[in-house]
Amino acid sequence: MANLTSDQANQLSDNFYNLAIALADFRVANWDRLTPEQRKDLSDTQYAVIKCGEDILAYSTTLVMDEVADSLGKINTITKDIKGTIKTLKDIQKGLNVAAGILVLGVAILNRDTMGIGNSIKDVFTTWKAPVD
Amino acid sequence: MKKYKPKKTLIVTLLALPIVFCSCVNLKTVGDFSSASTESVKNFERIDYSFVKHCLDRCTDEAIRNYEINRTQDCSCALYQEADSVTQVIYNSIEGYFEGLNNLSNNELTNYRSDAVVSALSADELGPLKIEERTVNAFSSLSNTLLRASTDFYRRKKITSYIEQANEPIQVLLEKFRVIIGTNLKGELRFKRERLYNLYVDIKMNGTLISEYEKVKAAADYYQALEAIQRKEIELEVLSKSLDEIAKGHQVLYDNRKKLSVKDLTGFLLSYSNNVNELISEFNKLND
Repeated sequence: MANLTSDQANQLSDNFYNLAIALADFRVANWDRLTPEQRKDLSDTQYAVIKCGEDILAYSTTLVMDEVADSLGKINTITKDIKGTIKTLKDIQKGLNVAAGILVLGVAILNRDTMGIGNSIKDVFTTWKAPVD
Repeated sequence: MKKYKPKKTLIVTLLALPIVFCSCVNLKTVGDFSSASTESVKNFERIDYSFVKHCLDRCTDEAIRNYEINRTQDCSCALYQEADSVTQVIYNSIEGYFEGLNNLSNNELTNYRSDAVVSALSADELGPLKIEERTVNAFSSLSNTLLRASTDFYRRKKITSYIEQANEPIQVLLEKFRVIIGTNLKGELRFKRERLYNLYVDIKMNGTLISEYEKVKAAADYYQALEAIQRKEIELEVLSKSLDEIAKGHQVLYDNRKKLSVKDLTGFLLSYSNNVNELISEFNKLND
């Protein structure tokens, strides 16, 4: 037998809802003709029907998982790619900062400035290691 | 002292910049749409209702109906917990995608700061080589613009590709999420409404209320409880409609993905962005 789909489950839930309303209307319309026991039986049946309808809706939601598994996988892969692209674009800022540091380092080397070379290397290293904003 | 002066090519390139900037408009359009979509989808977190909450409410209603007084409430909600988990997984995926699209199309992402390069170029340590300040600024402006243009081109290309790949799965997810919110969760409230109706009808028909005050109070309590349920139903309905508008808007993005550099896209997408924004506003009013 084929598995129940979430749409079919929703239709079933609709049927249970309409049945619960019909039972309630019948009970109220025939209130005086029913014995207290019959009223209670009908009421219990009606609550059981309502409960069934509610459970079917929750069950229908769990069935959705099988129906969207493929789409979920695709979207999550795309979202991961988007995050990767954003990181690449943010890395450009890092590249600019490092380039500026290297420029100062180059000048320090040309000027044979030992202290400057040391500081510049430290700065470039710090910039490179700094996290992307 | 050597002085560096700008060449003609630099001036020509600077004059061409407005053409490059024109292409930014549609990244903004995609950004506006995905930002509104993210905000709207996130309203899910503000809805104080879930499948598990419904299950717990049901147990309380049953205990009240049967006049049961227990030390602790024994309520089995495993199926409802599973339903909430599925809803949460779908929500996370949709929200993650639109937030990513919004971040990627946000122009702040490629507003690169060239202060460090400018400082390096105009630094005294450059020694005998001195570059005029205005040349440094022109260089900075030009490099930023060219960088921005190339990265914006790259972003547009990437966004086009993501929209193309994402349309089919995101339509499926938005549709299923819409059904979960607008049919299943809202449908649970329909049953809650019916249970409430039966409880008060039974009280009335059993003739247990004697005084006029008790009768009026019971009717007032009933309508107050009914209003709270209906308010929740409207919230779910509004969120459900937003998801529908988001799906339509994404379809428009997909249909016009090859024209992302055309200004007309703003017109195509504007009505969907506006609809989503109006529904966000409607939702906010319900939560005020």
